[in-house]
Order: sequence, then structure tokens, then C-alpha cells
Amino acid sequence: MTNTVQLRNISKKFVSGTTTIDALADVNLDIEKNTLVALQGISGSGKSTLLNICGLLDHADSGFYYLDGMNVNELSSYECTELRRTAIGFVFQSFNLVPVMNVYENVEYPLLLTKESRTKRKEQVNSVIERVGLEKYLKYRPDQLSGGQRQRVAIARALVKQPQIIIADEPTANLDSETAQQIIKLLQSLTKERLATILIATHDDIITHYCDRIVRLKDGVIK
Amino acid sequence: MKWLKFALYNVFRNRRRALTTILILSVGTSGILIGGGFADFTYESLREMAARDNGHLILAHQHYFDRQESSTLEFGLKNYQNISDELADQPGIRAVLPKLAFSGLISNGDQTTVFVGQGVNPEEFRVKGPFLNVTQGSVLSKVNKHRDPAVMIGDGLARILNAQVGSNLTLLSTTVEGSLNAIDVVVDGVFTTGVSEVDERILMVELNAAQSLLLTDKVSTVSVYLRNTIETEQFKSIVSSKLPQLAIQTWLDQAYYYRSVKGIYNRIFGILGIIILLMVFFAVVNTVSMTIVERTREIGTLRAMGTHRYEIVRNFLLESSIIAVASLIPAVVISVATSIFCSLAEIQMPPPPARSQGYPLGINIDPVLYSVVCLAVLLTCIAATWFISRRAAGTPIIKALTHV
Repeated sequence: MTNTVQLRNISKKFVSGTTTIDALADVNLDIEKNTLVALQGISGSGKSTLLNICGLLDHADSGFYYLDGMNVNELSSYECTELRRTAIGFVFQSFNLVPVMNVYENVEYPLLLTKESRTKRKEQVNSVIERVGLEKYLKYRPDQLSGGQRQRVAIARALVKQPQIIIADEPTANLDSETAQQIIKLLQSLTKERLATILIATHDDIITHYCDRIVRLKDGVIK
Repeated sequence: MKWLKFALYNVFRNRRRALTTILILSVGTSGILIGGGFADFTYESLREMAARDNGHLILAHQHYFDRQESSTLEFGLKNYQNISDELADQPGIRAVLPKLAFSGLISNGDQTTVFVGQGVNPEEFRVKGPFLNVTQGSVLSKVNKHRDPAVMIGDGLARILNAQVGSNLTLLSTTVEGSLNAIDVVVDGVFTTGVSEVDERILMVELNAAQSLLLTDKVSTVSVYLRNTIETEQFKSIVSSKLPQLAIQTWLDQAYYYRSVKGIYNRIFGILGIIILLMVFFAVVNTVSMTIVERTREIGTLRAMGTHRYEIVRNFLLESSIIAVASLIPAVVISVATSIFCSLAEIQMPPPPARSQGYPLGINIDPVLYSVVCLAVLLTCIAATWFISRRAAGTPIIKALTHV
């Protein structure tokens, strides 16, 4: 199996006044392609920092990050944006859908950035919307959908550009347990169908049962 | 087109705010367009008044404008008919008319006062058109119905001399030889220039009568009236090449009132325009700032998905451009409607300083003014949006995503 993500000796410090906090200390992590990996830990353990680094939203102070074999440490801010555009999908805790866009438009947005043709966009968008079971809601705005449906839209939006990795930060935290299970099952099925590699941060022990691997973080160190 | 569609969605995300901004921009832009149209109308009126008063080009002896005459008509023009003949082939010239400036005393037998007179060709009244305000009687005509020469006097002078149409008056002046001469005249009309001090002194008499009073066949100047005022400089070159021995001034050289009014209005309306554009700038800054605060997390999400900073800025610029265009359309409609209303309602403005008469309120619809103002408002909106949104787009993504 090939590794989508390879982290080597990743460290990150935050300075708050006179205090320095080690958010991540010498983290090494490999994530295999088409796996669902859970990142678990209490608040302040470094989960979000690690997700941000993996999602190219933040830089490590030291260490190396390889995404599909590419050393991303050397990329400029512009190149990181370009890479996020094509290679990384995000699923947020609060869904973060654009409220003025309908389901179709929200899912289509990443493809507009990559300047895909209209025909190809339509084909890909309809395909992922069908995959997450929202084909009847194409014209619905986010405020007309339930929490679970909104998160499905967010997953479709992350999936539509066929990224190398999907970063999901507490994707079930705002959902009831039944809906949360549906969402995690959906994510699990995507990896089983070899459609995505997913790194998911969660507090929820039930969620971790569906994951291929659990990475536990404590005080910025993988246990 | 997709981006434009999303921008439209975002503009109407908060309808009340968008409409308030559009209203502020519309009122501000209408203010500039109406003020600018009024200034343009005033300039045009004063320009035509000045040009119709003395002519677009004033031709004189080469020393007439820069030296003081030591005797009457020392720098007068002889054979002025030759000048008319020389310029007869120019289709842009409407008329070439001589003028004789003179002064002296005017009397009704009981009272005597000073006058400043002009000997004119009756044809001049045709080219002056509506720019001579006759309050009694009529203008001088080629056919004199009286035994004595006809005269038009200012309404202030008429009041001083208790004169009216048909009154007999006597003009007394110094001839070119230095002796005194007098002629009897009949009042044919009373007029006003709008300046009371001038109206108390001014009179116009037929050129032949003025020449017979001064015992001369000379004139002071020859006025060239053009069909189009904007061709003044072009014709100045043509005339100076044809008549190099003469000194030439344009209407603008002699239009002191026009220049001073234009100077004042340019400053007043210029400052008002800047204030309104600043108002537009801050209204847009306020709207975009509020929008950005509300959409910070959304900006973070779009940036996380791979939207470049410049694309975020571009989206906001599209939104503010839509607001600008949406406000310019009603602004233009309001301004045009106000202009049409003013021309139909014939509203009179009070007399300006040092003037005795008001003038009709007019607001020009000038396509150049409209284009420049609309472009300025659009660019102001774009500048304000760029100023705010580039900072928002530069917010670190993690910070934007955690914005509450």
C-alpha cells in the first residue's frame, strides 16, 4: 500500500505572551491511501494543529510533510492554495456551506476553481450528489436541509474534485448520534470504495469503531 | 457568469443593507449630476452671453488692447468693411459687425448724467438673440421711424432721466478732433444687462449716429460672431492669418464675469463632488466591512477549498460593482427627470451677487459629465471594496475559520 500522507518529525509551537506551548512535538505519521484514520485526543492535544498542517492551512515549525510523495514544506503560499484546490478536501464541524448557494452550487464550487468544463462539472457534481443520496435536493439551500443532509453536502463538496485526502474536523459533533453514525458510515464506505483517504478528528469513541486506524494524541505527541 | 451569479446572490443576502447602500449611492450620485448639470448650464449661459455681447472674436487696431488712447479713436479702425469682405468666405462665421465705443453726457433737458455708449449695427440684435433683455420698446432696426436717430438705454439710465420709449434725449461727446458735439436722439427701447451699475450708464445707438456724433468714419472694434462657440480658437488662428495687422481677443479674454463665476463654481462643486465621493467611499467601506465580518468564516472556508486571495477580492469587487451599477441607474434617471422638470417648470433663480436680475434654473444633461461621474462613482466603490476586502482575504485561514 502507498502512503498518501507522510509526516516526519513534525513540531509546532505556539507562543502566548511569555508562555510557549508545544502543540506538536516530533510527530511521525503515515496514512495509507483509501483508509479512514481517526485522530483522537482531548482538547488541546494537538488534533486540530495536526489537521491544519495536513490540510496545508498551517506550516510546521520543523519536520517534513509529504503529500503523495511531494514535499510540501517548500511550497509557497500560492502553491499551497493551488494544492488545496486540487488535492485536499475539507469537511467542517459546522458544515461551512455557502448559505446563498443551493446544494448543486455548493458542490460545484471546487470545480469552478479548477476551471472544469460545464459538462464535466455537471457530470461529476451529479455523480457525487447521487453518491451521498441528495439527488432530490439539488435546488435546496443549506437552511432548508437537516444537519445530516448539510454534512452530506459538505462531504460531496470535499469529494467532488477527487482529492488525495479529505480532512474532516469533528464532522459529527453537531449531529445527533443516529445521524452521526450515518455520516461516519458514509465516510467509511467512501474509503472502502477506494474513493478517498480520510483523516478525521473526533472525540467520539463510537466514531472510531468505523475507522481503519486510530491515532491517539496527547500533549502534541502520538501515543 | 457563475461568479456574477454568486455575486448577485451575495448582494441580496442582506437586502435592507444593500438597498440602503444603493439609496445612499443614488442620492449622492444624483447630487453630483444635478450640481454638475447646473454648473454646466451656468457656464454655457454665461459663455453664450459673453460671446453674444462682444462677439466671439474682437478685432482691433494692434495697440487697442494694450495702450491707452490719447485722443478719441486714436486706435480706431478705418475701412472696416474690408475686414467683413476678407472674412466673407468663412461658413463658420455668422456675422462680422463693427462697434464704436464712446462716452459723454446724456440729457433730457432738465437732468444730465454720464453715459457709456456703443454705436452698433442693428444687425447685432439679431445675433444677440435672447441674450439682450429688452424691458420696454424694441431693439434698433435698420429702418428708423423717427426723425432723429434711435437709441436704446439701460433701465437705470431711463429711471435717472425719467425717460421712456419715445422720449427725446441729447447726447454730448468729444469728437475725434477734440471739440464737443451733440445730437438729439429718440428712445426706441429700454434694456437691462442685469448689472444695475451698468444699467445706469449704458446706451446703444446706431453706428452712423455715433460716428456723426464723433465726426469720424472709424470704429473701435469689429466683432466676429461664430456659429459655434467651441470653434473660437480655430477661427482666431484663421482670422489672425488673414488679418495679421490686427490685434485679436476672444470672448474669453473679455469675459471677466464668466471666468470668476466659473472659478467659484468649480471650487464649490468640486469640493461638493469630493465630499459626496468620500460619502460613497465610506458607505461602501461600511457595507463591505459589515459583510466581511459576517462572512469571515465563509471566506476562510473558500480559502481552505483553494480560492486564492485575489479571487476572494474579485468576488467582493463584483458585488460592489453590482451595487454601483444598481445605484447609478436610478441616479441617472433621477438626474434626467430633475433636469426635464426644471426646464418645464421654468423655475427662476434669485439674482447672483452684483446682479439685479435672476435667471432661469437650468440643469444640463451632458453625456460627458454623466460618463465621468458614473465612472468616478464606480471606481470609488471598487477602491473602497479593494481597500477593505484585500485585508479580509489576507486573514489567516485558521483565524477566519474560527471567527465567531
